[in-house]
Amino acid sequence: MKKEKLILFFVAALFGLLVAGILFFIFQITKTVPDSSTKTVPISSPTPTISPAVTLVLNQPKDEDVVSSKVLIVSGKTQSNAVVTVITGSSSDVIAPSADGSFSTTVNLDDGENILEVIAIAPNGESITIKRTITYSQEEF
Amino acid sequence: MKKNILILLFILSFLFLAPSVHAQASPSPEDDATMRDQLITNIASRVAQLKLVEKRGIIGTVSDVTNTTLTITDTQNNTRFVDVDELTKFSDLSDTGSFGISDITNGMTVGVLGLYNKDSRRILARFVDELSLPVIIHGGVSSINNINYNINVATEDGKQITVEVENLTRTYSYTQSTDYIKSGFSKIKDNYNVIAIGSLDKKNSNSLIATTIIIFPEIPSSPKVNSALEKVQK
Repeated sequence: MKKEKLILFFVAALFGLLVAGILFFIFQITKTVPDSSTKTVPISSPTPTISPAVTLVLNQPKDEDVVSSKVLIVSGKTQSNAVVTVITGSSSDVIAPSADGSFSTTVNLDDGENILEVIAIAPNGESITIKRTITYSQEEF
Repeated sequence: MKKNILILLFILSFLFLAPSVHAQASPSPEDDATMRDQLITNIASRVAQLKLVEKRGIIGTVSDVTNTTLTITDTQNNTRFVDVDELTKFSDLSDTGSFGISDITNGMTVGVLGLYNKDSRRILARFVDELSLPVIIHGGVSSINNINYNINVATEDGKQITVEVENLTRTYSYTQSTDYIKSGFSKIKDNYNVIAIGSLDKKNSNSLIATTIIIFPEIPSSPKVNSALEKVQK
């Protein structure tokens, strides 16, 4: 008898919760908020990220490379409408990349350590620079 | 009864142990693959050990010097540690022959050629040379002085560098139609995109004695240069 009462109690409680839930749901979907009680809060848009007008990737040579030839191949990729300037201590060259933006040229190195500077310049004047340290040496150690 | 249980246990243990004994006697294809992989790993590890050291050359400014170590800030602004020993050879700009580690001072620009250890990330120097690097400036022509043969170049960081054009200065021009050709001082115009290569005047750090000037008549100076210039003018 006691057990039956207990089961009945739980079933009644569950039924009560179900009915209350349904009533609350109906209340929520039929509720209307008057315009006077709403407020518009302006949310400032985040600062747009300005993408650079020119990009530059240098495939060759690697930074801090030691080479045994004075003629160095420089290759990489940039925008097809950019102009690429390759500068070392003793030589400079300006080249236009191909239609897909890739470029390749050769420069002369001085004895010992050289700074290689590659500058890609966009038509609007913006530029990007990559520096590499390249050492010409035939010393064995 | 006990005897039967013992016999049963014996048979069961035999059944379980037999395959493992068999496996030990003749390795399966899986075991072969494992051994091969282990061998490859060992060889690769040995190869990596052998390639732990490689030749490298760096350039930087000396920030600290002791009898056995140089601390250098390289061109990428990284701090590098360079060890020197009795085999390290030193040379200065005038090539006096008596230049050594005791002559190296803070702020000096040096080039180091040596053996870079990938593990310790230190370089054991074999050659340390004092260097005088060319200065490369890139910007827009802000004014031209036809009397003194110099031009003012405004850079993106808001600097105004006076580029002195000497007799030995080579001027080049690049356009899509003409490609990279020799040019002259008279061809330089205001607002041209320009690159100047040379050495800074020892008396005036805002003055560059140019060895090479490259002008881009079809490319205006960068908008960043213009805004930096406006800020300076304000």
